[in-house]
Amino acid sequence: MRKALTVILLVIVLTVPFVFFDILPVIGDPDSAPNSHVSDYYIEHAVEECNSPNMVTAVIVDYRAFDTMFETTVMFLAGIAVMLILAEHPKRKLMVPTRVRRLNVHEGSPVYRTVNKDVMVSVIQVLILIYAMYVLFHGEVSLGGGFQAGALIGMTYLLDVMVCRREQPLFRTTKYKAGAIAGLGPLLYAVTGMIPFIGGGLYLQYGKMPFAIHEAELHSIGITSVEIGVTIGVAATIITIINALTERIVFDDEI
Amino acid sequence: MVYIIEAILLLGLIAIALTIIFGRDLMVAVVIYCAFSFITMFLYIIMGAPDVAFTEAVIGVISTVFFIIILRSIRRNIK
Repeated sequence: MRKALTVILLVIVLTVPFVFFDILPVIGDPDSAPNSHVSDYYIEHAVEECNSPNMVTAVIVDYRAFDTMFETTVMFLAGIAVMLILAEHPKRKLMVPTRVRRLNVHEGSPVYRTVNKDVMVSVIQVLILIYAMYVLFHGEVSLGGGFQAGALIGMTYLLDVMVCRREQPLFRTTKYKAGAIAGLGPLLYAVTGMIPFIGGGLYLQYGKMPFAIHEAELHSIGITSVEIGVTIGVAATIITIINALTERIVFDDEI
Repeated sequence: MVYIIEAILLLGLIAIALTIIFGRDLMVAVVIYCAFSFITMFLYIIMGAPDVAFTEAVIGVISTVFFIIILRSIRRNIK
């Protein structure tokens, strides 16, 4: 029964792409439906309407902002799910070590003796954080944006967990606190979307925000605050997953 | 010229995927998976999507470290 089902599904999956291949639009065809209506409007109006030279940012967090809001929520839910799956069983708490050893560096090697890795890590972390802030606030103009900045901040934390000793961390939280912070990101996004209600606009319609400045500037403010929300959500989700993973681990050089 | 580079990268992707599937050591598979996302990053750049390439580079590194953390928590000599 199960084998027959597998074979049927396999046949369907293998034949459907060939049967419907002709119906799909050709890649890059200028006469296909998405290329003839929506793309033209975006290309002509995105820069002046959203005050964002990067058209990708304009589409993602302005025209399609509602979509991106729930993508951020899905990210948050993934972090919560990992945290719950890897949660400590109350009766088996004794078997779960709370200690995370640093990576086993060859301390006898002359290269490592010349470098104080605690100092070097703090320097590298500061550089990565500066780059993350640049990516976040410059994302309207060049490539980048909230997601990449959040991932870079998560990478800083990862470096901290991997290299620094447990007794003297630079910054460290528990997975519950990180999960709570991860919820603040989508919240900031949703609240930003509600501000245009005061000015009589629709949800996430940045141009109707009740501030007395030019409409293009309002779009800039809306895009930036939404990107900050995405950054908080992604960074805290990555930190949650790292904490949930490392709390369960006995490293094999510790035994 | 771009098509040649693209073809080489795509063939490399297939080779790397087969190596990951049929490899014996899990640690080697994880490290080669990092190379997989690296080559994917170059493909995104060729296709003209530097945003996605940036995301792929960052997430490739983070997911590799996640996999290594998980591998160290299970027995290493699972083959």
